[in-house]
Amino acid sequence: MAENELEMLDDRDGFGVGEDVIGDRPRRYQRRRARNVVPDYLDWKDVDLLRQFVPERGKIMPRRISGISAKDQRRVAKAIKRARSMAMLPFVAD
Amino acid sequence: MPCEASLLMESMRRWLDLIDFGDGAIMANRTYEVMYIVNPDTDGDKIAKLNDAVGKLIKKEGGEVVRMDDIGLRNLAYPIEKKQEGYYVLFEIDGSGQEIAELERRMRVNDMIMRYITVRVDEDRKKADKVRAKREARTAKRASFRKTEETTEAAAEA
Repeated sequence: MAENELEMLDDRDGFGVGEDVIGDRPRRYQRRRARNVVPDYLDWKDVDLLRQFVPERGKIMPRRISGISAKDQRRVAKAIKRARSMAMLPFVAD
Repeated sequence: MPCEASLLMESMRRWLDLIDFGDGAIMANRTYEVMYIVNPDTDGDKIAKLNDAVGKLIKKEGGEVVRMDDIGLRNLAYPIEKKQEGYYVLFEIDGSGQEIAELERRMRVNDMIMRYITVRVDEDRKKADKVRAKREARTAKRASFRKTEETTEAAAEA
């Protein structure tokens, strides 16, 4: 039984749906488990790649949704910030 | 004694090497990417002159221009100085870091340059190479392991 539960929680491949309980209402979100989407050398000038992690609003996609490793998330965030300061990505888009 | 002296020399050299490759304090060899956005209203030849001046300054300060990329006009993601476009120029520089300091000082006071950024890339590149090498070694190891398994199976069958 316990094993089954563990299997259900493991949604490494494909799409999974998660829940965050904030306040009284659970918030639903789509989780992606992305594999090998971040290259070894992440170029901050590669806007097309970085756009993957910047939804329409212009915010940096959180890790629970982007599904990449913490290390990669830090690298991506840094690259996005560099690109922003050179007006290659927006701070806010509306 | 000559032997002792040479030993001392050797240890000194090793120490220097350590500094040299460790944190690059002596004869540092670093790679930087310098990008700047030029005001799009300036004349084309003025921009060319500016780029020449930047290249000359780097050489004068002891750096080396690895790559110079004239990206050209690009739309800005947000207005800078009420401009919607900017003229982008990218330099890749090998050097000690002194030329970067001088270059940044000049760029700050230059009216034509609206924005600039300097990024040190050699460390990240080295790290990326390391990660790649590690992964390749792992896959190679796995492949060899699988092969031996197959051969042993074949041997057992035979």
